[in-house]
Amino acid sequence: MASRDVGPSRVVGVGEHVIEVRGLVKRYPDITAVDGITFEVNRGEVFSLLGPNGAGKTTTVEILEGLRDPTEGEARVFGEDVGTGYRRIRERVGVLPQDFEPFDRLRPREAVGYWGRLFDHAVSDNEVAKIIETVGLADRANTFALNLSGGEKRRLGIAMALVGQPDLLFLDEPTTGLDPGARRELWTLIGDLRRKGRTILLTTHYLDEAEQLADDVAIMNHGKIVARGSPSALISQFGGGTTIVLAGAGRGGYEALMARGIAAEIQGTDVFVHVPTASQVRPMLAKLASIEIPLTEIYTKRSTLEDVFLKLVGARMEEGVLAA
Amino acid sequence: MKRILADVTAFGRQYLRSRVGTFFALAFPVILILLFGSIFSSSGSPRVPLAVQDMDMSDASRGFVQALNNTTLTTYQAIPPTANFQAYMRQHSINVALQIPSGFQATLVQAEMGNTSARVNVTLAGDPTQSSFGIAYSAVAAVANGFNLKIANATEVVSVGETPFTVQQFGYIDFFLPGIIGFTILTTPMFGMTSICAEYRTRRFFKLLATTKLSKAEWLAAKVVFYVLLLFLSVAIMMLVGIGVFGMKAGLTPVAVLLIVAGAFEFTSLGMVLGIFVRDPGTGEALANAIGFPMMFLAGSFFPIDSMPSFLQTIARALPLTYINEGLRATMVLANDATAFTYLLVTLGFAVVFFAVGARGLSWKSK
Repeated sequence: MASRDVGPSRVVGVGEHVIEVRGLVKRYPDITAVDGITFEVNRGEVFSLLGPNGAGKTTTVEILEGLRDPTEGEARVFGEDVGTGYRRIRERVGVLPQDFEPFDRLRPREAVGYWGRLFDHAVSDNEVAKIIETVGLADRANTFALNLSGGEKRRLGIAMALVGQPDLLFLDEPTTGLDPGARRELWTLIGDLRRKGRTILLTTHYLDEAEQLADDVAIMNHGKIVARGSPSALISQFGGGTTIVLAGAGRGGYEALMARGIAAEIQGTDVFVHVPTASQVRPMLAKLASIEIPLTEIYTKRSTLEDVFLKLVGARMEEGVLAA
Repeated sequence: MKRILADVTAFGRQYLRSRVGTFFALAFPVILILLFGSIFSSSGSPRVPLAVQDMDMSDASRGFVQALNNTTLTTYQAIPPTANFQAYMRQHSINVALQIPSGFQATLVQAEMGNTSARVNVTLAGDPTQSSFGIAYSAVAAVANGFNLKIANATEVVSVGETPFTVQQFGYIDFFLPGIIGFTILTTPMFGMTSICAEYRTRRFFKLLATTKLSKAEWLAAKVVFYVLLLFLSVAIMMLVGIGVFGMKAGLTPVAVLLIVAGAFEFTSLGMVLGIFVRDPGTGEALANAIGFPMMFLAGSFFPIDSMPSFLQTIARALPLTYINEGLRATMVLANDATAFTYLLVTLGFAVVFFAVGARGLSWKSK
């Protein structure tokens, strides 16, 4: 067998949608988990389904992985209907499920080799070693999975997902429950995979993760997609552009701005002036400088996905995680 | 086939690295053999301790006690003639005791001299429902009968001879070991598979496997292959202990080997059927216990089915383990391969049904 590495992804067709979802519905007796969503994922991009817990992200991904049957609608991966043709595409897909747990008493090198053989890939020891090195587990390759840290276990899961050189990776909340250091390391790994041309469907409820990694984001809430676009486009469209913060300006500063017809908000002693587009920031700063306002500091703040969420979903952040 | 072998290898590594699994599959049956074999085999028939209060202290009463000893059914323990018989039994937790009254020898002498009304009673005290009481009663009755024959100057007309009904002269261990093999065929795959199904469901391994090319039938086949290999290892160890420690003579026959393979197939599949209903390790263990423990006792692993009440025998005939136990004894001890082969077919029938139900009923996916 030819040497296999985790290099660039195979070509799947220029302009081809790797994933196509049309009017997808998953209904249970007491809840509609997915409510008529439509999206597509292009080859080589990181597509993120972002939403609070219970938004329908995992249900959507599990339908695409062939693990659940949809109630209505169409879900295609590589042009195959996942309900009837998943067997034909499964070796082109790598899966890291939500709350992935490895087999406790297998070592990473054994687990990766085993997983490859379940896809009919006769993975050599060298190939296993390369994959393990790719995910940064080389020095833990002979440790029982039982003794790996949470971050190392997720890395092992990604190594198992990579074993057949899949064109498409499903990473379902890959960093949930990890410490900040381990999350950053996994972000680096996912970024490397994207650069090598993998198509990645990433679900997350971390706003910063989606903002950092995704080319395209679909924000889900109550089973529906409520917004769709690149992180910067979403922020531009829904986040309110840039905010100029007049720290310590207080009630006097706020009233001075209002008297001159400048729309502002006051929170505590800080006054906020929202500027819709980047080109308007400089003129507005010049205008504010001309007004005599007592303040301790002045700075600008770009809107983030969190602002988009507050506007679209009404969700709030709790320790960096979206709460329903 | 490659996927099955890959799963056998990975699963085998995990299993053999688990001390609990290895203990119950390999060490526990050996402990049972050593325990029961020591109790029933090494000293021949078990002797019942029989306490005797000899109130007569004569040559005749001592002769009676000596005759009891010669039966090899009882061991002698003396109760002082001055002690209160029943109080002494209670104080010393004696289960069975014999009291020889004073005047015992004098009565025998009168009888020998032709006094047809001479009578003497020896008293056997104890719990008649206990098997030890029955053994002691048989011994005492046999000795008393011998004394009566001698006094009457009679000869024994009807006597009992012994001849082995098996091909070779077998001991207790030869009858016991097939039951332990059956017990292991039941417990190792069935209990194992039930808990595996519970673990795979709660830890989402089934979902993970569902994303691979491995089918449920292949996964189950891999477990069958692994448990067949494990059971052969276990049986080999049991045979070595049986032969080395207890001089066991029964050996594995071709039909016995096929029964072990079919049994592993059957109970691995049954474990998967039970796995359909378990949602967590706790319920898995409870369900396996609820099915497994009654079966191991009712199916003749430890006690002969023929000694059970008729309604329990009817139940036993419906249990899959019965045909493995009876089949193994038929071929290993009685050299009755025709019966064993019939039981092999019954076992295969159960196995195919369980496999089909398990492979179809156990879902790896979500609703």
